[in-house]
Amino acid sequence: MRRLAIVLVAACVLGFPPGAHADPVETDPDLAKRDEDYAAGRKAVEAKDWAEAVARLRKAEIRNPESADLHNFLGYSYRNLRQFEPAFRHYKRAIEIDPRHRGAHEYIGEAYLMTGDLPSAEKHLKALREICLLPCEELADLEKAVAQYRKSGKR
Amino acid sequence: MKTHLLAALVGSTLSLYAAPGTAYEGDAQTGKLGKVSFPTLCDPKLQADFERTVAMLHSFWYVAAEKSFPEIAAKDPACAIAHWGYASILMNNPLAGTGATPAAAKKAQIAIDEARRIGAKTQRERDYIEATAAYYEDYANRPEKARQASRAKAYEALAARYPDDDEAQIFAALYIAGTQSQADQSFAAYLKAAAMLEPQFRKHPDHPGVAHYLIHSYDAPPIADKGLDAARRYASIAPAAPHALHMPSHIFTRVGAWDESAATNVRSAKVAKAGGEADETYHASDYAVYAYLQTARDAAALDLMTDTLKVTGVSSGRPTAFYAAAAMPARYAVERGDWKAAMQLQPVATSYAFTDAITHFARALGALRSGDVAAGDREAQVLAALHKKLVDAKNTYWATEVEVQRLAVSGWTEHAKGNAAEGLKFMRAAADLEDRNEKHIVTPARIVPARELLAEMLLEQKQPALALKEFEASQLREPNRFRNFAGSVQAAEMAGDRARAATYARKLVELAANGDGKRVELSRAKAMLTQR
Repeated sequence: MRRLAIVLVAACVLGFPPGAHADPVETDPDLAKRDEDYAAGRKAVEAKDWAEAVARLRKAEIRNPESADLHNFLGYSYRNLRQFEPAFRHYKRAIEIDPRHRGAHEYIGEAYLMTGDLPSAEKHLKALREICLLPCEELADLEKAVAQYRKSGKR
Repeated sequence: MKTHLLAALVGSTLSLYAAPGTAYEGDAQTGKLGKVSFPTLCDPKLQADFERTVAMLHSFWYVAAEKSFPEIAAKDPACAIAHWGYASILMNNPLAGTGATPAAAKKAQIAIDEARRIGAKTQRERDYIEATAAYYEDYANRPEKARQASRAKAYEALAARYPDDDEAQIFAALYIAGTQSQADQSFAAYLKAAAMLEPQFRKHPDHPGVAHYLIHSYDAPPIADKGLDAARRYASIAPAAPHALHMPSHIFTRVGAWDESAATNVRSAKVAKAGGEADETYHASDYAVYAYLQTARDAAALDLMTDTLKVTGVSSGRPTAFYAAAAMPARYAVERGDWKAAMQLQPVATSYAFTDAITHFARALGALRSGDVAAGDREAQVLAALHKKLVDAKNTYWATEVEVQRLAVSGWTEHAKGNAAEGLKFMRAAADLEDRNEKHIVTPARIVPARELLAEMLLEQKQPALALKEFEASQLREPNRFRNFAGSVQAAEMAGDRARAATYARKLVELAANGDGKRVELSRAKAMLTQR
């Protein structure tokens, strides 16, 4: 037990000076680090520059056609430009690639509400309820949006 | 401009890699990287250096090879094929899926242009250069999968054009394996590569690439046992390369060959430590500690973990060492069912939320299995915050892994509160989610398989038949685990299946034949077998 305590303390004081290394065992999950256009597209999303976001993300899409996050950001950017056809296309692609993509389910649901399609929004609400066995923001946000939509009497 | 790019490359790589790596030069000079025959028309005095560097390439020893190819090119400015080697290295691990970084692609294109400008003296060498060039063509406008496909096609054509050139066959097999999709459960690309490599393995038993690529080509649960021969051979072919010592354990872990996994990883850690490669030291040690714990060699696990945690100089730019530093103490506590020790693990905040989560997950399990629901709740909140960090960072893979941990903690929380059905609901969701997410190569295994935790919960809820079913389902993905066999003995016994209980008791005793003999489950199993 005393030795285990020593080990635990040793783990706390592990030194971490930087090093340069080619990488035989790791993959980098962060696309933003690997793709300039994707990084710029994400920055444009944060800056709410939707046209720039679409332009840069579409360039990044050529190299990364199977990134669910990229399609989700594209969907979001098109949605904000009120171009719903490409927005739906990219959200659907994001969900096709990653059926548990919470953000895409929430945003496509909200996009359906924006176009007056409550039943489709509810399908994604149902999907989020199954995915979010543990509470998640995306479910709470879409629940709120659906409730507000109903309250507004648009249904 | 001519002398020039190369001198600059040599200069930059030397300054980058001046410290580590050189410790292996002695071994490398004596041919401990395996036997490679790659004839060239470069300066004959450099031929041995060239072939040794190709051997490094075959063992994914990029640190060393990235320095060595430019040195050869600088010594013989007419050696165009050296630029091929440099551009090939920059494609990175062809089996990891991410490929060359944009910065590396720029450097590689310069090397390819230089190789073309110099003009190789044979058509064969020119064809090698163009095969690697196919990968980089129009780099900015193509996805990695398209680049991989071009590379495989180009190398396959090269192999067909030069049927007697074994290096061409071997590289072609590697790059074909590199096109394997995780979604294709028939493993068509892997098996095609393996079919090309098997005859080469008979012909070149000491070639580092053949054995190495065979291991990768069989690195999937349903076909892993086919890779055992190559795994056993590879470590002895290239003992100077840390990756060559470690890589066979991917197969050993898949099939639960713990003694072999521990032995090769201890050697790998030793070589990596001597060479100042701290990340590899941690990585190999984690695999070895995991293997020791499966065979109840707890003292050996503790010794190795203690020594490894003293190693400094890890790279902050990759999670490898951080993962192992968190995983080893967590494994040591959880695998032995030492829940008090698990509760006392000390969290170390790093820049990697998923490695931080390991300690909090183990602390939560420790607390909940000791009946301390309040402490479990506190850890669950930390896990939720770490999970959110990963979700916000769009780190989908690790977010899912931490979500599995959160679901498991929620399950054990409900179970501890007496909500049996809710506990099982969460725990089953954790197991199902984990089954859909392949284990990451940074780790030999998760801290504990979620399905095994589900089985243990069923056992605690006095549902032994269902527990045994889940233990056995878990064995398919995680064979030969101590906790699994121990749980299976108990479940079978409780279910009244004495024959099956005895079978698992025998398996447990065999598994821990070289163990310390201090595990309670082992004593019980031995007693059970004696009574029969």
